[in-house]
Amino acid sequence: MKIFNIVLLLTLGGSAALTGCSTVGVKPWERDILSRTDMRPDGAGLDDAIDEHLYFSKEASSGGRSFGGGGCGCN
Amino acid sequence: MQLKPAPSQLRRRLIAASCALLSTSAARSQETSAPGFVGRVLKDWQFESALAYYHEDGRIQAIEPVVNASHDYGDGGNVSLNFTFDALSGSSPNGALPSHAPQTFASPSAKSFASARHPFTTRPGNLPVDPSYSTARAAGGAEWTLPLTRLSRITLGGKLSIEDDFYSGTVNASFAHDFNDKNTTVTFGINDESDIIQPIGNTPVPLSNYAAFQKEGNKSKNGVGALLGLTQVMTRNWLTQLNVSVDRFSGYLNDPYKIASVLDAGGTTTGYIYENRPDTRTRKSVYFENRVGSEHASVDLSLRYMTDSWGIRSETAQVRTRWWTPDRQHYFEPTVRWYHQGSADFFMPWLPAVDQADTRYISADPRLANFHALTYGLKYGYELGNRLHRSSSEFTVRLEYYQQTLAINNRVPDGLQGLNLYPGLKAVLIQFGWSY
Amino acid sequence: MEERPGGLLAVKFTAMACPCEVLIHGSDPTRTMGLGVMAAQEAWRIEHKFSRYRDDSVVAWIHGHRGSKCTLDAETTALLDFARQCFEMSDGRFDITSGILRRAWKFDGSDRVPEVATVAALLPSIGFAKLQWDPPDLLLPEGMELDFGGIGKEYAVDCAYDILASYCNAPFLLNFGGDLRANCAPPQGPWRIGVERPDSDRTAAMLLDLESGALATSGDSHRFLMKDSVRYSHILDPRTGWPVVDAPRTVTVAASSCTEAGLLATLAMLQGAGARAFLEEQGARHWIL
Repeated sequence: MKIFNIVLLLTLGGSAALTGCSTVGVKPWERDILSRTDMRPDGAGLDDAIDEHLYFSKEASSGGRSFGGGGCGCN
Repeated sequence: MQLKPAPSQLRRRLIAASCALLSTSAARSQETSAPGFVGRVLKDWQFESALAYYHEDGRIQAIEPVVNASHDYGDGGNVSLNFTFDALSGSSPNGALPSHAPQTFASPSAKSFASARHPFTTRPGNLPVDPSYSTARAAGGAEWTLPLTRLSRITLGGKLSIEDDFYSGTVNASFAHDFNDKNTTVTFGINDESDIIQPIGNTPVPLSNYAAFQKEGNKSKNGVGALLGLTQVMTRNWLTQLNVSVDRFSGYLNDPYKIASVLDAGGTTTGYIYENRPDTRTRKSVYFENRVGSEHASVDLSLRYMTDSWGIRSETAQVRTRWWTPDRQHYFEPTVRWYHQGSADFFMPWLPAVDQADTRYISADPRLANFHALTYGLKYGYELGNRLHRSSSEFTVRLEYYQQTLAINNRVPDGLQGLNLYPGLKAVLIQFGWSY
Repeated sequence: MEERPGGLLAVKFTAMACPCEVLIHGSDPTRTMGLGVMAAQEAWRIEHKFSRYRDDSVVAWIHGHRGSKCTLDAETTALLDFARQCFEMSDGRFDITSGILRRAWKFDGSDRVPEVATVAALLPSIGFAKLQWDPPDLLLPEGMELDFGGIGKEYAVDCAYDILASYCNAPFLLNFGGDLRANCAPPQGPWRIGVERPDSDRTAAMLLDLESGALATSGDSHRFLMKDSVRYSHILDPRTGWPVVDAPRTVTVAASSCTEAGLLATLAMLQGAGARAFLEEQGARHWIL
C-alpha cells in the first residue's frame, strides 16, 4: 500500500511538473510514428479486450491499462 | 482592373488542369451525394471484429465473437459501440481436492443428492470438475467522446452484460487534458459497476455443508473505481504512460459454485463446505508502459503492480514487439507475458475439520492462490488494401498459449500423498480478426 | 447563423484554421442551415483527409508508407496530379514537397532568419520530380513530405461549391477565410468583397464587386520575418529554400474556379517582382496591393 501511495504522489507530481515542462516532446509534424496503431496505448483494442477477459477469469488481478475488468460473472 | 486579353498558354493549361481536378470531385460527389443508408454507414464508420476460440486443457471450451463500430465526428468527437457474445462449455473445477477415493457431487441446481438429476463422480486421483458447465453471455457497450476545448475532452460510457446467472451494468466517465503541444496528457476517470448474482439453484449459504443443500436468495455487489493517468511523448519514437488506479467492491463477492474439501487429521476427505470471502475488497494498482517504434517495427513493454485488501499482491510484465515486412503488407507480433500473484489471506487449499468452527473466510479457488503464469503469443497481420486510408483494413490471426503453475506450500497430509493436488492450467487461444 | 442586410442569411463555422461562412440569398432559415452544414461537412472532410496534422489523414498514411509504393484513391490521385501539373507549369516554383522548409523558417515577425546550412540541408528532400508518381501509384522517398496546404483551401471551396450548386438555385457565396466563390449575384447587385490592405487599418479595405466566379488571395501581411530592413515574405522558393524576393504584399485574383484563382495568385507571388507582369500575361483579373 505504501508503495502505491508513493507512486500516486509521483504521478500527480509528475503530471504537474510535466504540464509546465516543454523541453520533452515532439513537434506536431514529428508524430508520424507515434500515430501508428501499434504505438498508441489504445491501439490494440479488441486484442486487449479479449486478453483482459481471459486474465480476469483466470487470475485475481484485472485492469490497470484502463478501467478494471469486471462486468462478467466469470470471476 | 484590366480588360481581359486572350488567356495565355499557361492559363489555358491551368484552366484545363483545374477543370479536370474538379470534374473528378464533382463526379465523386454526384455518385456519393445520395448513397443508401448502408453505403453511408460503411463509409463513415470503422469496424473491427474478432472471433476467439479458447480451449483449456481438455476441460473448458469457449467461443467469443466481438464486434466494435466506431465513428469520428468532424470536431474530434467520437462514438463507438461494441458487442460481445461468449459461450462456454465443458468442465470447471469446483474447488475440491483430488482424493484416493471416488467423490460424488451434484450439479448446482440439485436440491438434494437423492433428487439430483445429473450427479457426477470423480475418479480417484482426478481433480473434481463439474462436467456439465455451460453458460452463455451477451454484452454490449457504448462510449462517447466529446471535445470540450481544443486541448480537452470528456468521455462517457456504459456497459451491460447478461448471462443466465449474472447481470452487470457499468457506467464510466473520464476527462482528459493535453499540455505541452499535446505531448503530455493527463486523464482522470471514474467508474461504477452494479452486479446482480442469481446462481443456478440459488445462492448457497456460505460456509454451509455441501451435502446440506442450504440455499438462500439472490445477491448483489457494487464497485466504484478511479484512475489517474499520465501519458508523455518522450521522442518521435518513444511514448510512455503511467496509470494509478484504485477500486473498491462491496457486497456478495463469493463464487457461489466453489467449495473446499474438509479433511480429517489423516487427510481423508470427510465433506465439503461452500466458500466465504470478505464482503469488501479494495484494490490499488500501478501500471507503467513504454512504447518504442521505428519505421518498420515497434516494442511495447508494460509492467503492472497490484495490491489489495485480501492480501493478494501481483506483478505483471509483458513484452510485445511488432515487425513489418519491407513492403508493409504483413506483420508479425510475438508476445511474452509473465504474471505472478501471491495468495489471498483466506486462501486454503483445504479446510482441516478441527478448524471448521473457527473459520470465517475460506476459499480453495485456485484463482486466489499463489501461482505464476506465462503466456506466449504470436499474431500475424495482413493489410488488405486501402479504405479511405483512415486505418487500413486488415486481417489478423493470433495464437496464444497460457500456462499457470500453482505454488501452494501447505504441508500435504498423509491421506493426500501421491496425488497431483494442484495441476494448474494450460490453455490455448486462437483468434481471427478482421477490421474494415 | 445570422442575418445580413439585403435578405442574406449567413452560416458561419471554422475550418482549416480560419473563419468560414456561407451566404445565401432568399432562402428560408432551415434550408440555409442545411446547405451551410453540407458546405461545412465538405470542408471538414477535405481538411481531415489532407491535413498533415491528423494521424488518420491520407497524408499521414502516405507518410507512413515512405519508401514503399502506395495506391491512392481517385480524389487524392487527381489532386496530386494537379500538383504535378502546377509544378511543371511554374518551372518548379510551386512544389508540394516543399513543406519541410517550415522546419527552418518560422515566420513569427522576429529576425530569426535561418542559417544557410540549415536551409541547404533540407533541399535534397525537396522536389516533386523526386517522387515516383505513376498515377494512381505513388512512392514517396524517405525524408520527403507532402503538404497540400497550398491548394487545399481553394479545392475545398470548389468542392463545397459543387455540392451547393447541385442543391441550390438561389444566389450564394462561399467564403473560406478569404477564398471565395459565388454562383450568381443577388438581385440587389454584385457581392461586395473587402480585401484587407496590408499594414493598415482593417476598415480601410479595398472593395471589389464580384458577380460570379471565384476570388483567391495570397499574401504575407501577417507572416513575415524582418531582418536588416529586408522583409522576408512567407512565400518560399522551393528551388533555393529562400523566400521569394520583392514579392508583392497581397495578390488577389479572380477566375472561374477557386483552385484556378488560388494557383494564379500563388504563382504570381512566386514570381516576386514579376508578379504584376505575370498576371497581365495570363489575362486574369487581379489586384495587387
